[in-house]
Amino acid sequence: MKNTRLRLKIAGESGQGVNSVGELLAKACKRSGYFVFGYREYPSLIKGGYANYQIDIAAQSIQSSSKNVDIAVCLSRRSVHEVLDSIDEGGVLIHWVSNFHFSQEEEERIRDKAIHVEFIDVKKIITEHKGKKIMVNTFFIGLVWGMIKQDFSILEQAFKEEFGKRRDILDKNIELLSVGFEYQSNIDKQIQKIDILVPQESQKESLLLSGNQAIALGAIASGVRAYYAYPMTPASSILSYLSKTYHSTGILVKQAEDEITAAQMTLGSMHMGTRALVATSGGGFDLMTETLSLAMITEIPFVCVVAQRPGPATGVPTWTAAADLNLALYAGHGESSRCVLAASDVISAYTLTQHAFNIAERYQIPVILLTEKQIAESLFNCSSLPEPIEIERGLTKPDGITASDRFKLTETGVSPRWLPGQSDQTYNANSDEHVEHGKLTERADDVRAMMEKRMKKQTALLNEFPDPILYGEEEGDMLFVGWGSPKNTMVDVISYIQNGNSKKKISYLHYEYIYPLKAEWLLKLSQQFKKSVVVEQNYQSQFGKLVRMETGFEFNDRLLKYDGRPFFIEDILDYISE
Amino acid sequence: MSNCNNCTTKYSDYFSDELYTWCTACGNYGIHAAVKRALVAENVAPKDTLLCFDVGCHGNGSDKIGGYAVHGLHGRIIAFASGAAMANQNIEVIAFGGDGGTLSEGIGHLVHAVRSNYNMTFILHNNRNYGLTTGQASTTTPQDTPMHASPDGVTATVINPVDFVLSLEPTFVARSFSGYVPHMTEVIRAGMRHTGFSFIEILQDCPTYNKATPHEWYMERVYDVTKDSHYDRFSLADARRVASISNDKIATGVLFQNLNKKDFLSKQLNRKAYTTQLVDEVQKSSVDEFTQAFR
Repeated sequence: MKNTRLRLKIAGESGQGVNSVGELLAKACKRSGYFVFGYREYPSLIKGGYANYQIDIAAQSIQSSSKNVDIAVCLSRRSVHEVLDSIDEGGVLIHWVSNFHFSQEEEERIRDKAIHVEFIDVKKIITEHKGKKIMVNTFFIGLVWGMIKQDFSILEQAFKEEFGKRRDILDKNIELLSVGFEYQSNIDKQIQKIDILVPQESQKESLLLSGNQAIALGAIASGVRAYYAYPMTPASSILSYLSKTYHSTGILVKQAEDEITAAQMTLGSMHMGTRALVATSGGGFDLMTETLSLAMITEIPFVCVVAQRPGPATGVPTWTAAADLNLALYAGHGESSRCVLAASDVISAYTLTQHAFNIAERYQIPVILLTEKQIAESLFNCSSLPEPIEIERGLTKPDGITASDRFKLTETGVSPRWLPGQSDQTYNANSDEHVEHGKLTERADDVRAMMEKRMKKQTALLNEFPDPILYGEEEGDMLFVGWGSPKNTMVDVISYIQNGNSKKKISYLHYEYIYPLKAEWLLKLSQQFKKSVVVEQNYQSQFGKLVRMETGFEFNDRLLKYDGRPFFIEDILDYISE
Repeated sequence: MSNCNNCTTKYSDYFSDELYTWCTACGNYGIHAAVKRALVAENVAPKDTLLCFDVGCHGNGSDKIGGYAVHGLHGRIIAFASGAAMANQNIEVIAFGGDGGTLSEGIGHLVHAVRSNYNMTFILHNNRNYGLTTGQASTTTPQDTPMHASPDGVTATVINPVDFVLSLEPTFVARSFSGYVPHMTEVIRAGMRHTGFSFIEILQDCPTYNKATPHEWYMERVYDVTKDSHYDRFSLADARRVASISNDKIATGVLFQNLNKKDFLSKQLNRKAYTTQLVDEVQKSSVDEFTQAFR
């Protein structure tokens, strides 16, 4: 990674504005023409602990983080200790903690790795300029910008957009931004790397957004008119974004009293014929599973985003995992058709949210869209978002229908659906097993027929599913197969290898449409490689197990990570070179 | 049948071909009759009605009445119905739940629906036990009454639904009795007309499992408090005073109404300019106006 990226880390504690500083610098880098990826680590508390924001900067598209960094700026005492392990050979650590002492072990690491540690008395500088304590951040933003030799006006503009509302302190902030920018230290000569990264004009107008913002935009694009949710990391920023924009969109945004309510309100609104979205994390989804079951038997379309984080229970709430695939596949009592999709980045988050509604409405089934903290909260760069997808509602014109059409037995299992208010042919969306007009039945023939009708929908859906997406050649040494955020790391790895950094022939097969499982191509492709490896952010290889269960196919190996951290490029490279 | 002269909706429009499966003399028959009368009297066609049923004996009637119906999950119907009501305000949404589902498993939904003041009507079938699961105690079962699963009687204290809801600053609270169809009809009509969350408790006879307070017991005690000219139905204090169910008398009628508090959707500032319903607004939308902020 050393020669293809400049990697920057802002470290401190929760409440110090680490995230704001990181996002601002990421945006300014992008506007300077670089490709960036922003990765956030933070503890589940409001003040204190250890938090950091890592920005990887490159001259070509990147979608994931490197494990180590070149420059670390530390805002708190603890963060100096914490960050040291992640600084690469010859890197720089800057801090402003007076009377700071490293342990002997740390001193050795600094020496071995030739790390340059720089103390700057920012407190003194701020006092000299009559600034406020929080302006330490401002100084450091300017300092970093000066170190990586960028255009001050770009930073100034981005700063004003982000923090310009406080007019009374804006001038002072800009002054300190400039003081940081001009600051002459003996570290500047350490930062040569930016010179080899050539910025690109087209990058300046690209987008930089999080997976959750992309999901929210996907919802807006697909005509969602109501959003119900209960706050839960890492899904909460969907709620934030949709409420921040609701004066423009007119979307009804309701923070419900619990996840059960959020799911039920969503289903109620969907039943009437609007598009409503609900999002949560695994724990919240646990509470929604009875509603999922209700959606299945009443054949009311339902879309739920599940933003995964490590469990069980409260687990590691602000970190990443993809261990709720089994939950998505098996949640809800009884058997019926369902669809499970998984986003991996902002484009897929945006488009799959729209597809989710089309599938849910056309097949009258629940669709679960999985994401992960790594996708939900990381900042992804993309040139633009695709045009919104055509809306397919699967609704029947109510002329000439009769009530018993509503749950009519059909070849695909999909029956005509019309909305309350549209026809005097009224029906019952009945949670009890029912016959074709929705009225209760316990007769064996009826029960069997209805079960078969609902299960058939899954077969029809599978027939229209796209194949998984292949990155790399159709033959080679190793075929990695995965879903969710590992794609981003794999894509970066493949591009790194293609740039001549390894002789191994690596490909990656990515699943967005997870269930019902479409496996033909996977089975065929795997024969063209010496080794097939399933790569997942969970302990059990839940996707690997699904593939085995559905097809009997066993991967040669499993590359699994379940420590709350995403796959860094080095994780994959190390595996490949083993 | 109804006192509506220009009504196009007929009582028979709400008929169903399905046979009732309730016990003989169940209070549900009277409640169904009153609901149908109220819908006809308010001239709401079955096409424009969404009747939402919880799970329990009353829920088994979901297909024994006309109109669009939903038969949901135990305790959850208020949450479902509120989402439905907000999506299309042109549809008359009435939800039904028993004392079991509403005041035990789903009590949180009731609390927040009252607070939020969703524009819908909720009818509580209070028969003071879990009938469908063969007579277990509910929150409204009198203390020390032997029931299935509590042969020595329940020790937990009783919830008085009206008193409980009155403590939440509701906008509409009424009470009636399943043995008195004309009274129920008028109370339900008033609830339907009210803009906001209308809470209606129906004291319901359960001939099979509630031996403690049978039909006759209620008949001897219920009276319409609003007939008293001194009773002020806009006074929360008056309502709370008569809310209790004593051994002597039980106040019924529209006990409380607040006309000054807007319903949930009307309070949403971002929806002020909209004359359309959420169901009318589903369309593909450009996100260009939002993406600029990410450049």
